Amino acid sequence: MASWPPVADRELLGKSIQRIDGPEKASGRAKYTYDIVRPGMLFGRILGSPHAHARIKSVDLAAAQKVRGVKAALAVVDPGGEVNYQGEEIAAVAATTEEAAEDAIRLIEVEYDILPHLATVEQAMSRDAPQVFENGNVTKPSTRQDGDVDTALAGATHIVEGLYHTQVQTHTSLETHGGMCEWDGDKLTAWVSTQGINASREGLAQTLKIPQANVRVLTQYMGGGFGSKLSGDVQVAIAARLAKLANAPVKIMLDRKTEHLVTGNRPSAYAQVRAAADAQGKFVAWDAQTWGTGGAGQGAGFPLPYQVYVWPNRRQVHRDVYINAGPQRAFRAPGHPQSCFITEVVVDELADLLKIDPLELRLRNLPDVAPNQQWRKYFPIGAQKIGWSTRHPTGDPTAGPIKRGMGCASNRWAGGGNPRTRASCEIMPDGSVVTRIATQDIGTGTRTLVAMITAETMGLPLAQVQAAIGDTDYPFAPGSGGSITVGSISPTVRVACENARDGLFARVAPGLGVEPAALVAKDGRVHPRDDASKGVSWKEACRQLGTASVTGDGAFDRALATVGTSGVQFADVEVDIETGITHVKKIACVQDCGMVVDRLTAESQCYGGIIMGTGFALFENRILDRNTALMVNPNMEWYLVPGMSDVPEIDVTIVDQPERGVVGLGEPPVISTAAAIANAVANAIGARVRRLPITPDAVLAALDEARAGGTQ
Amino acid sequence: MPSRRKDQPGFSRRSFLKTVSAGGVAAGVLAKAPGVSAQAAVHAVGPGAVPITLTINGRAHHLEVEPRVTLLDAVRNRLDLTGTKRVCDRGACGACTMIVDGRTIYACSTLAIEHQGRNIRTIDGLTTGTVLHPVQQAFCEHDGLMCGFCTPGFVTATVALLERNPNPTPEEARKALDGNICRCGTYVRVLEAALTTKGVRRG
Amino acid sequence: MKAFAYVNAANEKEAIAALGPERGRILPLAGGMDLLGLMKDYIAQPERLVNVKNLDRAIAKAPDGGLRIGAAATLVDLAGHAEAARMYPALVQAAAEVGTPQIRNSGTVGGNLNQRPRCWYFRNEEFACLKKGGSRCFAVDGENQFHAIFGGGPCHIVHPSSLAVPAVALGARFRIAGPAGEREVKAEDYFMMPDRNLFGETVLAPNELLTHVLLPAPGAVKSATYDVRYRQSHDWPLATASVALDMNGTAVRGARIVMGAVAPIPWRVPEAERALAGRTIDEQTAMAAADAAVAGAKPMSGNQYKVQIARTAVKRAILKAAGL
Repeated sequence: MASWPPVADRELLGKSIQRIDGPEKASGRAKYTYDIVRPGMLFGRILGSPHAHARIKSVDLAAAQKVRGVKAALAVVDPGGEVNYQGEEIAAVAATTEEAAEDAIRLIEVEYDILPHLATVEQAMSRDAPQVFENGNVTKPSTRQDGDVDTALAGATHIVEGLYHTQVQTHTSLETHGGMCEWDGDKLTAWVSTQGINASREGLAQTLKIPQANVRVLTQYMGGGFGSKLSGDVQVAIAARLAKLANAPVKIMLDRKTEHLVTGNRPSAYAQVRAAADAQGKFVAWDAQTWGTGGAGQGAGFPLPYQVYVWPNRRQVHRDVYINAGPQRAFRAPGHPQSCFITEVVVDELADLLKIDPLELRLRNLPDVAPNQQWRKYFPIGAQKIGWSTRHPTGDPTAGPIKRGMGCASNRWAGGGNPRTRASCEIMPDGSVVTRIATQDIGTGTRTLVAMITAETMGLPLAQVQAAIGDTDYPFAPGSGGSITVGSISPTVRVACENARDGLFARVAPGLGVEPAALVAKDGRVHPRDDASKGVSWKEACRQLGTASVTGDGAFDRALATVGTSGVQFADVEVDIETGITHVKKIACVQDCGMVVDRLTAESQCYGGIIMGTGFALFENRILDRNTALMVNPNMEWYLVPGMSDVPEIDVTIVDQPERGVVGLGEPPVISTAAAIANAVANAIGARVRRLPITPDAVLAALDEARAGGTQ
Repeated sequence: MPSRRKDQPGFSRRSFLKTVSAGGVAAGVLAKAPGVSAQAAVHAVGPGAVPITLTINGRAHHLEVEPRVTLLDAVRNRLDLTGTKRVCDRGACGACTMIVDGRTIYACSTLAIEHQGRNIRTIDGLTTGTVLHPVQQAFCEHDGLMCGFCTPGFVTATVALLERNPNPTPEEARKALDGNICRCGTYVRVLEAALTTKGVRRG
Repeated sequence: MKAFAYVNAANEKEAIAALGPERGRILPLAGGMDLLGLMKDYIAQPERLVNVKNLDRAIAKAPDGGLRIGAAATLVDLAGHAEAARMYPALVQAAAEVGTPQIRNSGTVGGNLNQRPRCWYFRNEEFACLKKGGSRCFAVDGENQFHAIFGGGPCHIVHPSSLAVPAVALGARFRIAGPAGEREVKAEDYFMMPDRNLFGETVLAPNELLTHVLLPAPGAVKSATYDVRYRQSHDWPLATASVALDMNGTAVRGARIVMGAVAPIPWRVPEAERALAGRTIDEQTAMAAADAAVAGAKPMSGNQYKVQIARTAVKRAILKAAGL
């Protein structure tokens, strides 16, 4: 039976351990997909649609093919085919230089039949909208219901009602989507910027109609994905087709504009909410009509109310709205930040209505505490960290334009592990140790974690073991999404390493005159558990393997993982009411993730989630021109993500639960930040911004409305 | 793409290379400018590939690039020095930060041909053998990197900062690093690294 | 980016000779921060670039007690120029806030003054807007939250230059060199409204160069720039204001008040200037001038909020200039 070492015996697990690939990244030596160069490599480029909706009448590649250096060109859409959003792929070329490829792309002649398009949810939902999508622009309502909402609302004394909205957010991964494809006969090697090398292999095989066994996907380093790089990507398949045509390796990395347009986004969310509490501050009912758009033909679901507080009667009637924009993809905690924002803002509005401290109101409506629902414990910690006791009621009474406020919000996430995860650990006669697993490090520290668990199991220093990842030739691991990576691979690697180590023990035990089960590997030695002096060094032990390595295979072991995280965040903000500009001073976060593997990288996840959440709260917004459905800010100049001076002081408290198994932390920290900031802004200015991002115009409009007596 | 036009007056391969090795000035052929009065002859090169020499991390590199090739693309695609990253390609993210004559620049927004005779430093040249630069070391110790794609730009900007101002205040460090974007959210720890790095010599 | 030929001009004369009279065919290249982006996005497609970085970049005292700034001076040099900071706080404060450190290291004074608008309809190739020879301004019934609140069109850009605003406030003159010789233009006459020049924003002819910014001796002028940016790390201002107060003791003898990022050109407001004449600066007089500054604003469908922000910028610039 595999198990984690007793807490007191852990050398590495739970400690702050530097990434083993830090030096590679900090020195610039790390080779990302973007950096891969192969002999004879060509640069590929894709022509995307300049229209939001069009039928392709013809694609003429002749002029493009004549450009010097162009080695291959192909149409991706057949005549008669449609494009449903700006940037959707039409044709592609490969050339000896990027410049030649770009020149050629611009010489491709495409005849379009421009078709009616939908640029906004309002247009799509309007009665006179053209039916752009086959089964309608708006899906039939789907209802989720518990209890008797209508009766509860009819009898309620305190009701908050409003329209809440969150924007479309793009992932803005710094390394754009793309791949480098090289054929050897009918075998394809693809370096792909992906969160899922196995999914990428599957997608490529399927698209190219070749056996999965003929595809090898490699991802040693990748520059961010946040959910957008979980499936096989069309541009990589195009690179493979161009490579076949040109009989040369082809690399396609999207440009920044295309990245914004076609590689996914967090759908928008709208909610018309009625929520009620009784005079004692117990929530009684929640009723919401919700809708949102995930772009062309994609859903925009989010669970409402957010499942933290107890709403005995609740109903959500949801419709997906389709518009002619790039389709959504999973984005760090899909649905949750939207849902958390709407719910937590409504909770604060109820608190104001009831004249109850918002923190107190939350505590009154939390469920009974379970192992993965520690909010009741975390709220007071966060409150202390942010200085909640100094919080004033809604509306900073201080004179002058700068108003200060505080707010809070909570989060939950499931995580878990994929039971089909496998790993293999090899101990070699010279003492080398390698653990192989087809996972990928998307910046979370996965490579380091594989090495840590290996080293911990072998009783070796971290530098003495190797983690081999990012290659589909290794045993299967799932894509890095849903915060399941650490939960999937930690148990599996542990099992593989224990098996390999036990194999070594079996060879060494006879010489030491003990049973293998009596041995331990610790501090670079293998020795009987009760007599450290009797053992041999790791090197000596391995030498006894002769010429054959010992390999341990590992399968996922549920007992070493767990499910469920909880956390809270508090925000302290300043708002300049003469400009509407919000400055986040501080975020305090209290977060668990089961057993902490690497405290250093776990904290980094919290910092990162909070900073991304700050962007969602204040800045980020995909803006489509309402008349053409073309994106006006497909760049990093007008699509704003936080920079250094926008980052607040961040106080991270990670609650280690070493008695639980491992559970992922990628998603939870991003969920609550915008909600906490929105509540802090309202507390500062005494007016409510019910939409994200909280831009100066939104703040000034809320202030104007409040002055006119419109809110509260 | 038309290459260098050898039929033009004044062109000689030898004098061309001599001008280049003399350093500094972009070599040129005499060409009549379109739309300019006939007597005003000017030195124009391109649009085809032009031989240029770039001094990168103390080493001279001879390459042939069209004038339109940016410094970033020349270094990444022609010299295979891929430590410096291309992210926004419009001077808005800092991933392509290099240090030229002691100052940080966005290499995506400047032409390679403009940088002959200058001292160009990139992330690839900061490590001595396998020994990390103190700034790189601090980034590793403080976990000032996650996916790592912005890291070369941040490290380079931090090196430039500390070579000018070895003991910056938090405010000075923040302002100096405002030209770089990280999407994973390493800022807190990048700042810690910048403020705790010791031993950077004034540049 | 389309391929082009390149000329490395050693001096002003060579640069002028290498330019040509046709708009857009030959363009001067300074820091490149604006131009290369335009070219990458195919908004500019010149046949030739003329490098003008070797032209005068000195920041030097002029015989009349003013300052003469070579257009090739970088923004970082101006931002770090102690004497300029003492003489013209409004200008140096603006230079220090441009873009990012990397942009200020490359970007030049001339480039900043001559950069093209950042309007997203202008910058995205798909939109054939007025400025690109199209038939409509897409901002009118489109996404106009960052567009002009003054000017009345037909094109609703805001002028992007941070230095242009204090240059007008400080009464700067621009030296222009061209094939026919040199000329000087007042900063406030340099920038042109779209109804007079749709395809450019200045009086500069395609074969001319702005070579120097000439600032008059400051005398008793106190000045300041205040800009309002949303993203603190790096952003274009939502509104800025530069104020130059010619002081007579504690009273204002005359004032120049100019707003930026609110109109197609730096927007000088005589009404606001008059509101300060003869007054002592305090919160109340500053507010009155700020109200006067935005009284004539005609916001579009989505940028009403900029009126309040511009008002605040003016008020705070006045107080800052007065040292309050």
